[in-house]
Amino acid sequence: MSTTTVERAAAGEPSGAEPSYLTAENSVAGWLLTRDHKRIALLFFFSITFFFFVGGFAATMMRLNLATPEGLLQPAVYNRMFTMHGIIMVWFFLIPSIPTTFGNFFIPLMIGARDLAFPRVNLLSWYVFNLSGLVVLYSLIMGGADTGWTFYTPLSTTFANGYVFAAALAVFINGFSSIMTSLNFIVTIHRLRAPGMTWLRLPLFVWGIYSVSVVMLTATPVLAMDTFLLAVERFIGIGLFDPNHGGDPILWQHMFWFYSHPAVYIMILPAMGVVSEIIPAYARRPIFGYTGMIMALMAIAILSFFVWAHHMFVAGISVYSGVFFSLTTFFVAVPSAIKVFNWTVSLHKGSIVFDAPMLYALGFVLLFTVGGVTGLMLATLAVDVDVHGTYFVIAHFHYIMVGATVSAYFAALHYWWPKMTGRMYPEGWARFSAILTYVGFNLTFFPQFILGYLGMPRRSYTYPAEWQSWNVLSSAGASILAIAYALPLLYLGWSLFYGRKAPSNPWGATGLEWLTPSPPPEHNFPRTPTVVLGPYSYDPEHDTYVTQEGTTHGGIHG
Amino acid sequence: MVESMAESVADTSVPAPEVQYANLAHQGETAELGIWAFLINETIFFGALIFAYYFYRLTYPHEFAAAAKDTVLWCGTLNLVILVTSSLTIVLGINAAARDARRDMVRWLVITCALGFAFLCVKGFEYYLDFMSHSVPVVDYEVKPGEGSAGELFWVFYWVATGLHAFHLITGIGLVLYMLLWRIRRREITSAYYTPLEVVGIYWSFVDVVWLFLYPCIYLVGRS
Amino acid sequence: MTIDIDPRSARPRPFVVAWVLLLVLAGVSLLTAFLGLGRWAPVIQFGIAAIQVALVFILFMRLKGPPTLKWVFAASGFFWLLFLYGLSMTDYATRHGWPSPSVSIQSESPPR
Repeated sequence: MSTTTVERAAAGEPSGAEPSYLTAENSVAGWLLTRDHKRIALLFFFSITFFFFVGGFAATMMRLNLATPEGLLQPAVYNRMFTMHGIIMVWFFLIPSIPTTFGNFFIPLMIGARDLAFPRVNLLSWYVFNLSGLVVLYSLIMGGADTGWTFYTPLSTTFANGYVFAAALAVFINGFSSIMTSLNFIVTIHRLRAPGMTWLRLPLFVWGIYSVSVVMLTATPVLAMDTFLLAVERFIGIGLFDPNHGGDPILWQHMFWFYSHPAVYIMILPAMGVVSEIIPAYARRPIFGYTGMIMALMAIAILSFFVWAHHMFVAGISVYSGVFFSLTTFFVAVPSAIKVFNWTVSLHKGSIVFDAPMLYALGFVLLFTVGGVTGLMLATLAVDVDVHGTYFVIAHFHYIMVGATVSAYFAALHYWWPKMTGRMYPEGWARFSAILTYVGFNLTFFPQFILGYLGMPRRSYTYPAEWQSWNVLSSAGASILAIAYALPLLYLGWSLFYGRKAPSNPWGATGLEWLTPSPPPEHNFPRTPTVVLGPYSYDPEHDTYVTQEGTTHGGIHG
Repeated sequence: MVESMAESVADTSVPAPEVQYANLAHQGETAELGIWAFLINETIFFGALIFAYYFYRLTYPHEFAAAAKDTVLWCGTLNLVILVTSSLTIVLGINAAARDARRDMVRWLVITCALGFAFLCVKGFEYYLDFMSHSVPVVDYEVKPGEGSAGELFWVFYWVATGLHAFHLITGIGLVLYMLLWRIRRREITSAYYTPLEVVGIYWSFVDVVWLFLYPCIYLVGRS
Repeated sequence: MTIDIDPRSARPRPFVVAWVLLLVLAGVSLLTAFLGLGRWAPVIQFGIAAIQVALVFILFMRLKGPPTLKWVFAASGFFWLLFLYGLSMTDYATRHGWPSPSVSIQSESPPR
C-alpha cells in the first residue's frame, strides 16, 4: 500500500473546466430524456418526495381522526385513508426511497463507474414509476380503496367498494420499476467496478444495495403475479382466490407475503448500508467486523424469504407451519443483532462528531433495536395470537419502516447533500430536526405499543374513551413528527441558494464518491480510479484517513 | 483522429461503446448478463402462476382432469412444434450474424417472425374453439360433468397463462421486427457487434421455455 | 465429443440435433398422457419438460461453457421458486385433510 499525503481535499476545489452534471445541457429535454444516473436520481427524488407528502397527508388525517374516540372522518373515509397511506408509503416511498435516489446517484460513484450498466432502462424505470403513481392517484381521487394495503381476498375481490382494480394495477406496474432498478444495480455492481475494487473492498452501502436488489428481483415477480391474478378476479368476477369455486384465499396471502415480507427488508437493507457508511465517517474509525457486516446483510436477504408466514399465524395456516415460521423468524434476529452490535462497537474509542447525519444514524440504531426486539415478541406464536391485528403490530413495524428507514433516509440526504448539490446545509437546523424527528417519532409510536397491548385493534376508526389519553399523546407526537419531516424541505431548499459552497470532501470520508468535485461532472470520473484498499480507513488517534485510492489526508478536525 | 474518422466512415457498422464500458466486448457481455437477470424475474413470475396451478391441481385432481379434457390438444402440440422450431431458426440467424452472412441472417429472422405469427394464428383459432366449447369463464361457461365448481379455476388459469404467454410472444415478435426493420437495416448488427440480436434470441428462447412448461399443465391433463 | 456453440464458428448440426431431440421428447411426453399413469403422469411430464428446458438453456440460449455468472443467474430463478414451493408446503402439506380426496365445495350444484 503506497500512500502519499496530498493536500488536494483541503480547499474547496473549483468546479474546473468540466461543467457539473447539474449545469451540463440544462434544458427540459436534457432532464427528461437524460441517461445520467445522477439526474435520474434527482428525478426519482422529486417523485418520491411528492408521494411521501401524499402518504403523510393520509397519516395526518388518521391521527387527527383518532385524537378523539368520536372521530372526525366517516368510517368509510377512514378506511380509505389508511389504505392509501399504506399503499403509497410502502410502494411509492419506502421501497423506492433509498435505492432509487441515493443508490442511483452513488452506486456508480462508489464503485468507480461512469454510469449504471443500462442508463436507458434506468430512465424507463422512472417513467414506469410515475405511470404507476398516476394510476394510484387516479384510484385515490376517484374515491380510493378500502381494503388495507394488503388487499386480502375475498375482501378485496368480492366485498370491497373502492377502486381496488386501479390500486392493484398501480402496484403491478410499480413492480416493473423496482425490477428494472434492481436488475440495473445487480449487473452494474457485478460488471462495472473500477480496477482494484474487489468484492471485499466495496463500501457497505454498495453491499446493502446489492443485497436489496437481489431481494427485489426475486420477490417482486411473485407479487406481480399475485396482483395480476387479483386484478383478473376483481375485473371478471371469478378467479383463483375465489372460495365460491374452491379457491383458497390463503393462497393470496402466501404469495403476497412471499413478496411483502422480503419487502420489509427491501426497506431496511439499504438503510443499514447508509448507516454503515455514516457511523465510521463520524466516529472516525473503521467499521467493526466489515466481512461480518457483509455476511449479515446477505444472510438477512436470503433469510427474508423463509419467514413470510409469520404474518399469517392467525389466518388459518396449519400449526406446524406456524411453528416452522416462528423458528425461522427468530433466525433472522441473529444477523440483525450482529449488525446492531457491530455498529455499537464501531463507536468504541472513536472520536465521534455529532453532526446531523450521525444523529440521524444513531437514531436509526436505537429505533431499529426497539423495532427488532418487539419483532421477536411478535415472532413468538402465543404472543402473536394475542396481539395480532392490534396497535402493537403497527408500532412494531413503524419503528422499523418509519423510525429506522426514514431516519436513515434523512441521514443519507444530509450526508450526501453537499455532493449532490454542491452546497452545505445549515448544521444547526439539521441537528435540531434530527433530534425533533427522534422525539416526535417516539412520542407518536411508543404509546401505540401500550395501546396495542391493551387491545386496541388496528384499522379501527374509533375506540373506547379510556384509551383517549394514549391516542392524544400519539397524535401530538405525530404533529411534532410532521414538523420534523417538513423542516428539512425548508432549510435544504434554502441551502440550494444561500448555502456555503461545498468542498469535494467535506466530511473527510474515504469512498470514491468524495474524489469527484461537488457536484460531480457529467460522467463522474475524468479518469477511472484505481482502488488499492477497502473503505473506512479512518484513524481516530492521529486524526487521519486514507481514501480508497490510497491517499492519506488529515482528518476533518485538522 | 482523422484516421479513426476515416475508419468510421469506411465501416459504419462498428459502434462506439457507451461511456460506462471499457470496450464493446465488455458492453456485450454485460448486456447478456442483463437479459439473464431479467429472466430470473420472468422465471419466478411464471413459476408463481404454475405454483398456484399445481396447488389447485393437487387439491382437485378429478375436477381438473374433467375440465381440462376440453383443451384442444392438437393446437397445443402444433404450437409446441412451432415454438421449438422458431427457437432453432433464431439461433441459426444469430450464427449467421456472427459470420456476417447477412442474407442468411435476414432469412432466418424472417422465418422466426413468421413462426411467431403462425403460433398466434393457431392460438387464435384455439381460442375460437374454446369459445365454441363454452370454456370461457364468466362470459360463456358451461360446467361439464364431473368438474364441479373447481373446474372453472382451471379455465381461469388457462386464459391467464396463455394470455400472458401470448403477450410475451408478441413482445418477442416486436423485438425481432425491431432488429430486422431498424438495427439490421441500418447495418448495426454485424460480426463485430451482434449482442442486441443475441439478447433478443435469449428472450425468444425463454418464451419457448415457458410454453414447454405450460404444455403439460394445460394439454396433457385428463387424457387417459 | 465437443460441441461448438460459439456463434462465430458453430455449425448448425448440434442445434438441429437438439431440435430433433426436443421434438422426440415432446412426443414421449404426449404419449405418457394416454398411458393412464395416474399421479405419476405429471411427474414424468414435468421431468421431460425439465430435460427439454435444459437443452434449450444450454444450446439455444448458449449457457454451454465453463460455469459463469450466467449459470448462476439462470439457475437462481428456479432456486428461488424452491423457496416458494417448499415453504408453502409446510402449510398445505400439514393441513388437515389436504389434498382432500377431490371434493370441490359445490360439486353437485353448478355455481350459476
